[in-house]
Amino acid sequence: MKRRSLLQQLAFSATLLASAGALPGLARLMTPEARSDPRRHLRPPGALSSDDAFVAACIGCGLCGEICPPKCIRFHQRDGGSQVNTPFINPEEKACILCAKCMDVCPTKALTETPREKIDMGIAQIDRAACYPWVDKGICGACVSICPLGERAINFKMWNQYRPVVKTGCVGCGLCVEVCPHPSLPIRIVARELGTVARHTIS
Amino acid sequence: MKKPFFLWRHLNKLRWLTLILVFGMLVLLPFLHVYQTYIAAHAYDLLTPDEKALYDTMEHLTAPFVSDPETQLDAIKGTTWSGTFGKLQLSDPLAVLGQMAASLSAYWPFLLTALIPVVATLLFGRFFCGWICPATLIYELNSSLSALLHKLGIQTGIRRFDRRLKYLVLALGIVISAITGSVIFAAIYPPAILGREIYYAIALSGFGAGMVFFIITLLFDLLVSRRGFCRYLCPGGALYSLLGHFRLFRIQRIVENCNDCAKCSAVCEFGLDPLHDQFGQECNNCTACIAVCPVDAMTFVVRPSDTPPQGPGHQGKRYRREHVASNEGDMT
Repeated sequence: MKRRSLLQQLAFSATLLASAGALPGLARLMTPEARSDPRRHLRPPGALSSDDAFVAACIGCGLCGEICPPKCIRFHQRDGGSQVNTPFINPEEKACILCAKCMDVCPTKALTETPREKIDMGIAQIDRAACYPWVDKGICGACVSICPLGERAINFKMWNQYRPVVKTGCVGCGLCVEVCPHPSLPIRIVARELGTVARHTIS
Repeated sequence: MKKPFFLWRHLNKLRWLTLILVFGMLVLLPFLHVYQTYIAAHAYDLLTPDEKALYDTMEHLTAPFVSDPETQLDAIKGTTWSGTFGKLQLSDPLAVLGQMAASLSAYWPFLLTALIPVVATLLFGRFFCGWICPATLIYELNSSLSALLHKLGIQTGIRRFDRRLKYLVLALGIVISAITGSVIFAAIYPPAILGREIYYAIALSGFGAGMVFFIITLLFDLLVSRRGFCRYLCPGGALYSLLGHFRLFRIQRIVENCNDCAKCSAVCEFGLDPLHDQFGQECNNCTACIAVCPVDAMTFVVRPSDTPPQGPGHQGKRYRREHVASNEGDMT
């Protein structure tokens, strides 16, 4: 008799837990895995430097996206895994203009107010084996003329050479990626430690 | 006979109005944002005819209120999950709780954004669920659909569960948030989902994963249990119910007027039993029972606890049989 009631209670608690856990389980099931490409999924400016801390701080309210003038902030969707509903910027589609509105509006300061020069979304990296001026296929300079940070971030290699060189002042806003006319995008935003020049290793 | 203040009876209409207003704002704000992005791009001539139509409509709508839409329209942004009104930032207490659990720390400015909602909940109980929540509008329409189907002879879900289940969902959500380090409530809390998904659908590429979840909850309400998600599963509802346990403003039955018709208990979306004075912490002060009562037996009172069960209504058959008939003889 006692054992039976114990079993009943156990079964009851198991059912309760299962039905309560069904919701997060269902939510998780709909966003199976994180497949973020670091070059196409930049965090918005001022994001906490550790991505785990960012995901923990972000409540997925979407305010940063709703206030973004160029509408460059998008949100991880079905393929976002545990990052679902957190913001990202894909500079190949639309790049950040560093207006700082998203940092102002973020309620949890997952995007912290940061002066423009201190923002670190990454750094632009140029593939000198593709970029038009670097392979002498014409003059361009689109990336240099669009850069909101000017000479601190990107400049021509030598006077009137049209060969762009990224400097450490680059904050990785990605406007250069957006305007780059080359179809294979020889300029990309990468993690700062990967450097400003693409290396081609022979494997 | 005590008469309740005549306006209480009309609060339910006001409630529908606020629900529609909140939902309407959630639809309007993404359009306004798209309009702002068009202004920011300075390229009216490059817009397609559809985009131009949107631009012109929004310009027409906002022109009386703002002179510089690109910046002034930033004053109202966001959803019920978290939003800004000028300098005032408001967040859902559940967002604050979930974020504290996920990051295992407390960020004071963010905690303060939930202050006004928490104080209001302490005073008015679970009013968010009945008066503001954008999902409530859809869920109540879904309930009406269910009632309509029922009239047409199609069986809909009327199963009942244990109402305490949602507290377990809340506790489990906090634990999961703490373990995984992400705010799980954002993915399972209908108003958060709905606010976000409306924005995704209008301004970005279309509905995301959350909409599927929301539709599943709608089907659950329709096929399994009337208003089941809010009653038994919603973690936000659980949090508000806990906060609203000692709410000051609550609905009370005037036993002298009541005729035991039980319309209040039938109309209650949350499956409570106003007829037997069973409101409890889960009443959301939606006032549907006040509006439906044919004899003005429901009113608002200011007191921190429910009245104990008052027995059958004095105008009802049972009370008359037991008390009036014996004293005054045959009433016919």
